Amino acid sequence: MQSALEKAVELILSGNRELMSILSVTARMSISSSLIALLIGVPIGIWLGSCSFRGREALVVINRTLMSMPPVVCGLLFYLLFSGVGPFRSMKLLFTVEIMIMAQVVLITPIVVGNMESYVAAVALPVKETARGLGIGGGKTLLLLLNECVYQIFSVYLLAFARAIAEVGAVSMVGGAIAWKTNVMTTAIMQYTNRGDFSMGIALGIILMTSSLLVNIAISLLQRRVSR
Amino acid sequence: MKIKPFTKTYDGRTVLDMPELELTEGSIYAVIGANGSGKSTMARILAGALPCDSGSPVLDRAVSVGYMPQKSYAFRMSAEKNILLSGGNAKKAKELMERLGIISLARNRADKLSGGETSRMALARLMMGKYGLVILDEPTAAMDMESTALSEELIRDYCRETGCTLLLVTHSLRQARRLGDEAIFLHEGKLWERGSVEKVLFAPEKPETAQFLEFYGV
Repeated sequence: MQSALEKAVELILSGNRELMSILSVTARMSISSSLIALLIGVPIGIWLGSCSFRGREALVVINRTLMSMPPVVCGLLFYLLFSGVGPFRSMKLLFTVEIMIMAQVVLITPIVVGNMESYVAAVALPVKETARGLGIGGGKTLLLLLNECVYQIFSVYLLAFARAIAEVGAVSMVGGAIAWKTNVMTTAIMQYTNRGDFSMGIALGIILMTSSLLVNIAISLLQRRVSR
Repeated sequence: MKIKPFTKTYDGRTVLDMPELELTEGSIYAVIGANGSGKSTMARILAGALPCDSGSPVLDRAVSVGYMPQKSYAFRMSAEKNILLSGGNAKKAKELMERLGIISLARNRADKLSGGETSRMALARLMMGKYGLVILDEPTAAMDMESTALSEELIRDYCRETGCTLLLVTHSLRQARRLGDEAIFLHEGKLWERGSVEKVLFAPEKPETAQFLEFYGV
């Protein structure tokens, strides 16, 4: 155990090329998918939380169902759509980082929508009522509502990133965990552990936890700055 | 100014059934009644924050309405920025904050203020604008006696200077007496009695009004 830990530290400090490749793919996939999910999910969440229309409740229920979609089901869906028998086979996206990002976006966006929707639903009414009472128009009211959501957007991004970086089911199915190409930290930890190469697994585990910690610290600092 | 008859129903239960109501411009109306009598619902409908059953406007003409909800909302920005949201200039904002005793809180985050401070900030914010009809829903409920006195003085001056009509929803009969020209008593969602404050408070026509006043020791 001790030698594995020592080797893990050595791997990190030496800048092992395979390790760097895994880190680069993980960063690209996690940051891209969480940002895309945020860009899609935040406006939808704000819209769902602040507007009342026929069918709103149904949309909220559908989104809540999607929030709990098992990653392997999402992976299976993408696999079937983009594999040799699927309708999108000509796009040749299976086992690429792009399809991993797409699968992640489908998994994470409902989480972003759901969190934004429940937050906005609580603040939209007093914001709109107060703005109306002051004779403030629709455009400015929307800006005020967005301003009220800034803190929540940071929190939701943190959630989205955490989900993206820790996900294993969908990305291994659609990405194939191919070394030097689509292997991310979570899938690599599984592979190396199965092979008995614990030092690489531990090194990846340390980096995974450290990067999560650093992102959390950065977002917390930003939140503190915003809440001042 | 006329308020057209309107109703408000929730799940088949009519919570408000208002007849036509004529308001004299420039007057202050104290809206009184027990909890659940429909005061806040009436205020929200008149402010356009809640649609009545028919969905059509209840005021007989286009008039600018200023409204301070029962629970004042403080936007996530400084108290001064909150006050400037409804227009006006920094000088006027400062003057209002001074009058309400919140000048020292100008740069503080408004959403971190106490309940009473938030109410004073919200009152100053509303009074930055000019409206034909102003609706205040229990504006001083969270305030101490000194702040209440300062706020009442400001409300009175604002009404005199702008000539607006004011609907003041209040649980304080003393406040109704201090500020109101007329009292409107709501009971179980209906307009039960209206008239001069003195008459409604001290010589009510309906037994329900007298019973309500009895609880307040009038």
